Amino acid sequence: MTEVVNITPTTRHEGHAKLILEVDGEGIVSKAYYINTTPVRGFETMLVGRPAEFAPIAVMRICGICQTTHGIASCSAIEDAIGCEVPEDGLLLRELVGLGNRMHSHPLHHLLTLEDFIKPEEETLKIDTIKLIQRMRKVGQLIVDTVGGEGIHPPNIVIGGMRTNISERAKAKLYYALKQYEKDAYMMYEIYVELVERYLEEVGIPDLGSHDYPYIASHTTYGDRYAINWDGVVEIPPHRYYKDIKIAESTSVMIPLYEGVPAEGGPRARLVKFGNFRSGGSVMDINIARAKENLGAVYRAMEILDELDINGKTRTTPEYRDGFGIGVHEAPRATNTHFAEVGKDGRIKSYKIIAASTWNFPVVEKAIEGYPHQYAEVIMRAYDI
Amino acid sequence: MEPLGSYKSIISARATDSRILKRSQDGGIVSAVFIYGLENNILDGVIVADKEENFKPVPKVVTTPEEVLEAAGTKYTVCPNLSVLKSAIREYGCERIGVVGTPCQIISLRKVLKYPVGFRHLVNKVALLLGIFCMENFPYMGMKTIVEELCGVKLEDVVKMDIGKGKFWVYTRWGDAKSIKLKKTHPYEQISCHVCTDYTAELADISTGSVGSPDGWSTVLIRSEKGEEIINKMIEEGYLETKPVDEGKFGLGILKKLALTKKEKNMKEIEHRKELGLPVPPKVC
Amino acid sequence: MEDKRITVAHVQLSSCCGCLISLTDTYEKLLDVLNSVDLVYCQTLMDVREIPKADIILVEGAVCLDDHHAMEIAKEVREKGKIVVALGACAAVGGITRFSKGGQMSKPVQSSFSSLTEVVKCDLAIPGCPPSPELIVNVITAVIEGNTEYLKPFVRYGERKYEACGCDLIINAINKSLCMGCGVCAASCPTRAIEMVEGRPLVSSQLCIKCGVCSFQCPRIEV
Ligand SMILES: Cc1cc2nc3c(=O)[nH]c(=O)nc-3n(C[C@H](O)[C@H](O)[C@H](O)COP(=O)(O)OP(=O)(O)OC[C@H]3O[C@@H](n4cnc5c(N)ncnc54)[C@H](O)[C@@H]3O)c2cc1C
Ligand code: SF4
Ligand code: SF4
Ligand code: SF4
Ligand code: SF4
Repeated sequence: MTEVVNITPTTRHEGHAKLILEVDGEGIVSKAYYINTTPVRGFETMLVGRPAEFAPIAVMRICGICQTTHGIASCSAIEDAIGCEVPEDGLLLRELVGLGNRMHSHPLHHLLTLEDFIKPEEETLKIDTIKLIQRMRKVGQLIVDTVGGEGIHPPNIVIGGMRTNISERAKAKLYYALKQYEKDAYMMYEIYVELVERYLEEVGIPDLGSHDYPYIASHTTYGDRYAINWDGVVEIPPHRYYKDIKIAESTSVMIPLYEGVPAEGGPRARLVKFGNFRSGGSVMDINIARAKENLGAVYRAMEILDELDINGKTRTTPEYRDGFGIGVHEAPRATNTHFAEVGKDGRIKSYKIIAASTWNFPVVEKAIEGYPHQYAEVIMRAYDI
Repeated sequence: MEPLGSYKSIISARATDSRILKRSQDGGIVSAVFIYGLENNILDGVIVADKEENFKPVPKVVTTPEEVLEAAGTKYTVCPNLSVLKSAIREYGCERIGVVGTPCQIISLRKVLKYPVGFRHLVNKVALLLGIFCMENFPYMGMKTIVEELCGVKLEDVVKMDIGKGKFWVYTRWGDAKSIKLKKTHPYEQISCHVCTDYTAELADISTGSVGSPDGWSTVLIRSEKGEEIINKMIEEGYLETKPVDEGKFGLGILKKLALTKKEKNMKEIEHRKELGLPVPPKVC
Repeated sequence: MEDKRITVAHVQLSSCCGCLISLTDTYEKLLDVLNSVDLVYCQTLMDVREIPKADIILVEGAVCLDDHHAMEIAKEVREKGKIVVALGACAAVGGITRFSKGGQMSKPVQSSFSSLTEVVKCDLAIPGCPPSPELIVNVITAVIEGNTEYLKPFVRYGERKYEACGCDLIINAINKSLCMGCGVCAASCPTRAIEMVEGRPLVSSQLCIKCGVCSFQCPRIEV
């Protein structure tokens, strides 16, 4: 006997979504649908015919949590299209602003999942962890504010590089903030490892949410368009992916596939591809990978500050020509990709986005399948979409 | 109508540092306060009106005494100082900024502090508002016309401009001084100044200008506790010398008179605009 | 202990969530803010799945007129909120969603987005993309304390049902001989669409996202 369990709306993530689960007699999910019901604001079509400079500004507003990554991916797609080289210090600042964003977004994600792991009677631990999260977020946002110009939708990320360099005072301030973050990130990592291990033990399913789909990642701290075989990437309408037309018509996401199948992006994918993180384990590993990435981010950020020449040039003036380009940035949640076709008049001819979290939509469904339905949301939240 | 707004005390003062006096417009109060603030960690960045060639005004965030001195002196033209307000707290990383501005700029900044809609994390980083007296301002081309056409001096030769004794003065790098009657400059005033009723930057922490004090001295209105604290420290430590402001006709008398004249004259203009159904500046704070 | 605290709900329509993030960017003060009210609904942060009645409902995002569900939510917040606050440009004045025009997969028919203020009566509307954390806290505090003087401009923004744009500076300040060149509009712009040239704002319509901040901040424009 299959029963259908609806969780609507799903909570503690960005956007509007629902879970439709087909559950067997033992309470195990046999089929999961993760339906995104957020209306499509149409960023791809809104850009067509508009000047290229508008693109990064607009697309940042796709997501207020990871705006930075959209700005970066957008600029690099357009730069790729017109063959524009960003000066070295511009690139360093861009990587830094992206890391700042990660350093706020990851802890925010911990905030959203915290309730899954903490017990009602652990109020003090909860409050302390929230304080820790906010302290970490503050550092991440300080970086984005300082380097990007605004903590939310940073306008200094421009085609050709970064609008401006930072002052010596600002550099010193960031350095000391990073020192604090380093300590906090260790603490966070320890807390999360403990919470997640305890959770899995209590649930009694050590491989909860595991799946054997491939990973997609291009870089540890920035993004690399050459690390991905673009011929192997397609994005298909849900109508082709879901057999049930009702399901296909209700979701607003397109389905990206890598070499013909869904692929997981994000912290675990990056740490597996470029490190020795365990692959194929419980989906809860992602929560740990995320906490681990905070550390990688803080070390790379410090390195960038050492390398940065505050008197260096950060931007070249773009010269437009006809072209097509790909911009890739490793967003907190997965690989974020923008494809831009521009004309020599400096206008956008066509634009396409495979937003980071889109990768994980079909993967969430796979990860939920085969496990008791009551864990569906916890599994979904490991990805945060 | 209280012509000078509310204030705690009023004095005549000037900087004791001759490097400041050499470059400043009047008693060098603005530059002295900023330099003192920067050197004593009361401020870590200030917004000033610097200039490029031909007296082109440029708003700047500066962090060293040298840069403050570089920007001393009045530019009799619009300089959008507040346009760099956000840079100060972003790429410059300042935590305690000082801002100098004309009365309208101080009003504008007060509005920002009350309603910081587009100013994330700014409010507690604005440490000091220095207002300068202002009767009127000129668009850049207006100033250029006054200097080049009315005074007959090339802008590139000008080292200082001043208003005093009913005249507009231009000093050249060749040591010449030219002047014309102030009345002759009126046609070149920025028209939006005619609805402005604030002469002494009533919303600043400290306001200063030349009127009411002898040449080379400034009149200083201390309005807030913050302002009082820094001025007192500077006096104690010998950065400023002071004397009581002249209560008579050429001191407080003329200051009040001018402030009142501005208010009355421009209130009339405001009323006139209202009659025509045109918008007028709203009350901000 | 009896709880008579003000109840607050946060509802997301077609938005980026940046307005809520702005509120969380009060960092260590967030807990104080949340402790001074009773947060009863916020899908992004907590597990309540149905919008309850609340004293204040903060709504971020525009309303997709081509989405039945979104229209229902707009109606629902009006019915359930004593005070409905259009939080941020998208809800208050349209913002980036003014540029939406549909034709995109997988929902090509979703093409019409209107600000919440155009769809239901909003008691308060806050422009900005996003409004600063400090401002959001100021408004919430003013509502709690009944500081109507402070809220006046936001009441007016709730009443006006038209779009905002950088052009507002041109029309309401420059054209009306009110702009005196303070430069605050340029600093306020979240996209840096405004440059000061010859003491006047030069607004790049290419970069303006119609957030309404510049004209709100202008001291010479009545808000
Ligand atoms: C347009 C204008 C009209 C004025 N009208 C009068 C008047 O009618 N009566 C009167 O007593 N005083 C007036 N002043 C003020 C006076 O000229 C001096 O600026 C003031 O006394 C400060 O002198 P100081 O020696 O203390 O400052 P300084 O140490 O010389 O420093 C002056 C500071 O003012 C800033 N500044 C210069 N020009 C501008 C500008 N256009 N906008 C914003 N900031 C600027 C500079 O960056 C500098 O930091 C006016 C000033 C201006 C700009
Ligand atoms: S007269 Fe008023 S509006 Fe004009 S510059 Fe001076 S303070 Fe500003
Ligand atoms: S106003 Fe800006 S920050 Fe707020 S929801 Fe809209 S796009 Fe996002
Ligand atoms: S010019 Fe800038 S501040 Fe003004 S409405 Fe446009 S985006 Fe907003
Ligand atoms: S904010 Fe200042 S510069 Fe901008 S339009 Fe208003 S008065 Fe003019």
